[in-house]
Amino acid sequence: MATTTVVDRLRARIGVAAPPVSATVEAGHLKRFAEAIGDSNPRWLSEAPPTFLVAIAPTSIHLAEAEEYGKGWLNGGNRFESIEPVKVGDRITATGKVVDVYEKTGSSGSLLFIIFETEYVNQHGRPVARLRGTAIRR
Amino acid sequence: MTLKAGDEIPELVKHPTTRQLVQYAGAQGDFYEIHYDQDFARSVALPGVILHGLLKAAFLGQLVTEWLGERGTLKAFEVSYRGIDQPGRPYRCRGRVTKVDGDQVELEVWGEDSAGNRTTVGTATVDVKG
Repeated sequence: MATTTVVDRLRARIGVAAPPVSATVEAGHLKRFAEAIGDSNPRWLSEAPPTFLVAIAPTSIHLAEAEEYGKGWLNGGNRFESIEPVKVGDRITATGKVVDVYEKTGSSGSLLFIIFETEYVNQHGRPVARLRGTAIRR
Repeated sequence: MTLKAGDEIPELVKHPTTRQLVQYAGAQGDFYEIHYDQDFARSVALPGVILHGLLKAAFLGQLVTEWLGERGTLKAFEVSYRGIDQPGRPYRCRGRVTKVDGDQVELEVWGEDSAGNRTTVGTATVDVKG
């Protein structure tokens, strides 16, 4: 069955880190992000607001082939952990991995859940933040 | 800051528009069409374009950081997206202290649609300066 194959192929990726993505936190990007979320706190001109790191690297990985399953994506949830403040000029390296993949069947049909985690490390090699997310195909 | 379980923090009411969804798509780099293309959104059985879950998370982040100000740090926050939200309708962000343990304060946070449904629910952990 095709859907079983997709689930099995995605499950084989569990625990495998994706290639790291690095980016510098730019003042212009911070400003555009703060404007987009409608938060005018001047603190965010030099410091990243709580969810900003989702904008410097893709929040999910290995997901293209999951699109064989169902017809659309839903975001089920996110967890943001801040270890130290991220400031303009910081060079952040994001490394993501799939940590779980499972299928649930309910009254409205089947759903595919993909749980991923991303760790963000700064230019000094210190972890600054972690993100966990639940991507759902329906 | 004298805080106790049960204290509600000041609410934050956001007024998202389709324009804001486009702005957010660009700022985050998430160009999934359900957030700005009405025909595409309907083709995947949505009533129209919907807010990014991560935009609603950002609103709840603002709720907590605005309340906290310089008095402390948001250490962790977790949200579940329970329902969809459409632009053109107010989105009401609320929170309540659930536990105070020394400098560590736990809150429940949630976002309500215009009918009062909690479409996003979560928790936040903050460290307040002693």
